Amino acid sequence: MDRRTFLKLSALTGAALGLNRVVSPSSAMSSSAPLQIKPQKMTEVKWINTSCLNCSARCAIRVRVINGQAVKITGNPLSLTSEGKVCPRAHIGLQVLYDSERIGFPLKRRNREKGKGIDPEWVPISWDQALTEMANRLKSLREAAQAHKLLLLYGLNTRSAEDIISRFAEAFGTPNLISGNGLDEESEKSGNWMADGHYESCAYDLDRTQYLLLFGADLLESGKPLSRFLRKWGKLRREKPNRAKMIMIHPRYSVTAAKSDEWIPIHPGTDAALAMAIANVIIAEDLYDKNFVHHWTAGFDLYKKLVLGHYSPRAVSEITGIPYETIHRIAMEFAQVKPAIALRGRGAINWPEGSYTSYAIFCLNALVGSIDLPGGIIYQENPRYKNLPPFAEDPIVRKGKVQPFLDFRGTEKFFNAKVVTNQVPESISKNIPYPIEMAMGFHCNFNMSAPGAGRWDEALKKIPYYVHISPFVSEMALYADLILPSTTYLEEWGYDHSPPGSGFAEARIKQPVVKPYGEAKSSIDILFSLAKRMGGGVERSFGHMGEDSEGFVKHRTSTLMPWKEFLAKGVWIDPKYNYKKYDRIFNTPSKKFEFFSGNLRSLLIKMGRRPKEDLHYLPHYEEANFLGEKERYPFILHPYQPLMTLENGSQNYPWAQEIFLPMHGIGWANLVEINSETARRLKLKDGEEVWVESPFGKIKARVKFSEGLHPQVVAIACGQGHYSYGRWQREIGVNPNGLIGVDFDRISGQAAFFNTRVKIYKT
Amino acid sequence: MPRWGMVIDLDKCTGCQACTVACKEENNVPHGSPEEQKRAREIYWHKVIAVTQGKYPRVHTELIPMPCMHCDQAPCVTVCPAKATYRREDGIIVQDFRRCIGCKYCMVACPYGARSFNNKEQEKKAYHRQDSPPDRSVWGQWPFPTRTHGVVEKCTFCFHRIDQGLKEGKKIGKEVVPACVEDCPAMARSFGDLDDASSEVSRLLSSRSWIRLREDLDTKCKVYYLLK
Amino acid sequence: MRLSYTPIEFRSQDFYILSAILIALTITGFSCFVISYLHGHQVLGTSNAIPWGMAIIITIYLIGLSAGSLILSSLTYVFGREEYRLISRISVFLAVVLIFGAMVGISLDLGRPEKIWRLFIFFVLNNMRSMFAVNGILYGGYFAICLIYLGVIFAEKPELTKKIGILAMIWAALVHMGTGAIFGFIAARPIFYSSIKPFEFVAAAMASGLALLIIVVVFAFKFAKRKFRKEPFFSLGKLLLAFIIILAVLVFIDKLTHLYSPHREPTVWLLTGPFSSIFWGLQVGCAYIIPILLLSHPRFKKTIGGLMVASFLVVIGIFFERFTLVIPATAHPMPFYPGKIEGIWGEVGHFPLTAIESLTSLGIFAITGLLFILGLKHLELLPIIERKEPTPASGEKNG
Repeated sequence: MDRRTFLKLSALTGAALGLNRVVSPSSAMSSSAPLQIKPQKMTEVKWINTSCLNCSARCAIRVRVINGQAVKITGNPLSLTSEGKVCPRAHIGLQVLYDSERIGFPLKRRNREKGKGIDPEWVPISWDQALTEMANRLKSLREAAQAHKLLLLYGLNTRSAEDIISRFAEAFGTPNLISGNGLDEESEKSGNWMADGHYESCAYDLDRTQYLLLFGADLLESGKPLSRFLRKWGKLRREKPNRAKMIMIHPRYSVTAAKSDEWIPIHPGTDAALAMAIANVIIAEDLYDKNFVHHWTAGFDLYKKLVLGHYSPRAVSEITGIPYETIHRIAMEFAQVKPAIALRGRGAINWPEGSYTSYAIFCLNALVGSIDLPGGIIYQENPRYKNLPPFAEDPIVRKGKVQPFLDFRGTEKFFNAKVVTNQVPESISKNIPYPIEMAMGFHCNFNMSAPGAGRWDEALKKIPYYVHISPFVSEMALYADLILPSTTYLEEWGYDHSPPGSGFAEARIKQPVVKPYGEAKSSIDILFSLAKRMGGGVERSFGHMGEDSEGFVKHRTSTLMPWKEFLAKGVWIDPKYNYKKYDRIFNTPSKKFEFFSGNLRSLLIKMGRRPKEDLHYLPHYEEANFLGEKERYPFILHPYQPLMTLENGSQNYPWAQEIFLPMHGIGWANLVEINSETARRLKLKDGEEVWVESPFGKIKARVKFSEGLHPQVVAIACGQGHYSYGRWQREIGVNPNGLIGVDFDRISGQAAFFNTRVKIYKT
Repeated sequence: MPRWGMVIDLDKCTGCQACTVACKEENNVPHGSPEEQKRAREIYWHKVIAVTQGKYPRVHTELIPMPCMHCDQAPCVTVCPAKATYRREDGIIVQDFRRCIGCKYCMVACPYGARSFNNKEQEKKAYHRQDSPPDRSVWGQWPFPTRTHGVVEKCTFCFHRIDQGLKEGKKIGKEVVPACVEDCPAMARSFGDLDDASSEVSRLLSSRSWIRLREDLDTKCKVYYLLK
Repeated sequence: MRLSYTPIEFRSQDFYILSAILIALTITGFSCFVISYLHGHQVLGTSNAIPWGMAIIITIYLIGLSAGSLILSSLTYVFGREEYRLISRISVFLAVVLIFGAMVGISLDLGRPEKIWRLFIFFVLNNMRSMFAVNGILYGGYFAICLIYLGVIFAEKPELTKKIGILAMIWAALVHMGTGAIFGFIAARPIFYSSIKPFEFVAAAMASGLALLIIVVVFAFKFAKRKFRKEPFFSLGKLLLAFIIILAVLVFIDKLTHLYSPHREPTVWLLTGPFSSIFWGLQVGCAYIIPILLLSHPRFKKTIGGLMVASFLVVIGIFFERFTLVIPATAHPMPFYPGKIEGIWGEVGHFPLTAIESLTSLGIFAITGLLFILGLKHLELLPIIERKEPTPASGEKNG
């Protein structure tokens, strides 16, 4: 009879956790070690450092691998951004990796017909066939000097893959490189840019913050980087002498609101007014940080005049639905509890007026002096990877550089935008500014994640040749002529760094923890292969930076630290952060923080436009433009992203699905959440099926009475409603993005998600 | 003899449910399906419940992580006929799957709904830990087997980690903790010896107000909650 | 007084048809049990919300019937009431068969029936604080005592019979008090938690046991085409009335107690929620009110028909009494924390009737019934009236 045999364990050094060891009979490198094992079984146990990619936070993780199978994922303690902690999605990575419905071979479409519910009749082909076919098409496009008619779409990819995709775009000669950022938080970036010239999201120095004023920011669910917010929340609450206070201003009582100290429901789309009213109180009470404002800001007088003249708390109370006393009290707290941060989230700024809302909220931080201070807003440093070698310019490339962008970025239409993701379907459908001949999509699923999803279906149908690269047949892949099976992030080489962030720079390695599934290849390897086949300038542009993904990563990160060390540690960190860089941090005409946006004014002048009013350059509130008339569509749709939504385009993961909505205690579904009073007036019954209809579509789901919703808001969680594949996601729930009309913040090109009106009725 | 307990700080907790997922990952706990959830048959060793009070706009929802409470006066221990569930000396309520006959008396008796019945042979997954004896002929307490159908399973305070850690001379509560405690990103959970004045759990319980669930039933449970 | 017992010679087609049906149901039930053993309890209606289903309900029901039946035999063998001798043998045999059925029921409820032996390692591998374990002793002993009792009765040894009868009577009461204690000591489920439960169960056992006995004996006589005196039955009817009243009072006190705080929500929900129609209609109406009315009605209590109807109602009603005890108690979500618990953890449990569970349940009843009618056929259970010795005053004595 076997008794427990105790295992010899090797001594651990705390930091050297990335070492691969093969020992016999078996050994464990951590506390989660086995007790019993059959002595004759040879077991190989390793911990491998890599980083996650189930959302854009890209947290550093360690993966435990036994006999070539990944069995556990946890955080890398050496990562400082989140102090080595990870969110639940990191663990779900095991189910992402071992999704039994992944594709292992390139698939070619046989049925020319494309559409929802139409069987593409996929035929497996070899990589050689697939890449040859693609290379030929690409070459002929180039030869016909139509390189700009190649569209490259990408969703959630590693930074290394993004660099390679963008290198490919440049080398090929197309300006049409479209990321999913236009669905994300471009308006945050443009609001920042108007103030300080940084077209980037904010980083927050959260260790020392005492007060967080959250405008529609679901920090604990969809904030990025999520793991950092989760860790710092705990720290701010009870690991400091003084507990930090969090106030949540949001139409929806989210998890973040439940964990905050106060939830202040606000009429959707009026966050800018509230921000200005808070500024009004702070300025009127003379509580603003005079030192910072007088020395390091410009345009304060104009701002002050606007704020005091038009945004009294009483007036704003009417607009927002928040009692005057509350506005006053919050403003006083915000100004007097230091350091304080005002944070924006998608709910507040993914509106047509989002850039100004973002600007208005951002200015509150300057008002109280929380810029580039411990406990305040800080500026993200990024790893200085080795520069890519110059790419080969040829006439095709030069021609491509001057072509207009498919998404009209930087034009009249979206004059400050860097990418307008959701403009693409219209452009393709209308052949403006020119028709698209070929497209490649890397790990994107805009048919699900973009407003007005049906437009993407139509647009993709139109493209003569679409290649989709992802590990599974997503809704977007259904329209592909060719699918290339890519590796998941646990099977590939890459480097990554977090979005803002922690302020200081931190790079993370990605190395394969297991062998790739089937014949899957990473996006980087696919592009290297493609480049080789294309020859000419493209091939040359892919030279001298490693011959494949591993080589590329090694090349690019060679400036950071020695390769072996990077693999062993998993992260590279430059923890030094210099605060108060006021003399050099502001990229504005005045070289100061601007309450009156010189950047915006300069841009408009450059574009030949010159609105007369100063108001256009100041943060201000504009009444939201709703889609749908109030009489016919009385409610405002609020699609939100719960934590359990993975951002890789699939939701086929039971661990995420079964606990999908923690506030409602259910999974495997999403609900039409509505204020209980409102629901009763509509004579609805809790749990009954209802139709939710907007001017653009309708969906059917179960209603849920909620005490945590503004009376005019209907909230539906995103992430469900998949239909293309997946035993654990197909036919489950509905996709609220199908109801949303197409609208944009004109300054940044950010797609608006929250300004569609809907009506509800029984089935 | 240590008396293992857990403290969950609801003020630090962010309601992310990493604890629930980490537990499933650590212990090969089967996942459910839509049908099983409708029929209340999903297996959770750890769950997070949401409890709402109040009306708009003065609403409050508490998100409460609930492992097995490992009660010192456990109703489940009292009622198990086959001594399949019993209190170890160190306070952990053991669930010996070999002895369990599946009578479900413990499920009826548990006031916290901590126990789940395994009502089918569960699928083997590629990410299941193999470093456990799946061979059911091995005697003794298993660290974290995959269970047969017909038995009751529940949170074990990851006793396999604790036992291994003790053998290696590690400090339980600092270097070795259950998976849910280790993987909580907010570091809202602590684990340790309730009878050791120098442990983190003792420190927390003496410095903050705490509650336990269902005090009215006097289970003397060992999972404490610190409120906001 | 002379009563002779002979096996009933069932020759009619009815008997064979009945046996065939019972055999078929038994086999079906057994096959369904095998299916549930191989596939797991996913094929049943139980869940994590409602762990105990039909098998437990039937088990406790049968134990109650058995205990009640056995206690009633003491009327004759312990207390010497000769007029009830005609039911006494059958009552003991019925008790044996019913407890066997209950044992079958228990094994169906277990997740791992092959480990049922673990219930009988008293004091060593059993936790004797558990009422299940105590009941293991009680049921095991009970089965043995019943068999011995039956044997002694067949051997016609009145003195020994009396001694064993006393033991059997007390043991039977303890058995069903033990069953009641299984539920009564569980604080987590307020509908269960009550010191009265053991007494409530014994009262239910007496009522249902007597009712079943009346039905069974009358039917046996009818099928055997033997004449029988009606007066004993009318007295039994009075006894049944008394038992029902006692039961109703105990249930009333129990529910009334639970309507006071704390933990009144589950009971309120039972009385007014989705199970209220079963509670008021099938339990209170069927088991208590209508039988009380029938058995106290001057006309109906004097007819065998009235008695039979009342007994049927009691037998069915008390089945549903067991049902409304077991299912709603666990279906009602537990209040982990004050407030409204969202989603699946705050939902009322569902107990769907599945084919496998229903067929298995029928199988338990079927095998019990089958054993019983086989016993009637082959054992000397049913008395036959000796017509040849009519004496003027012996109308009562000659059962």
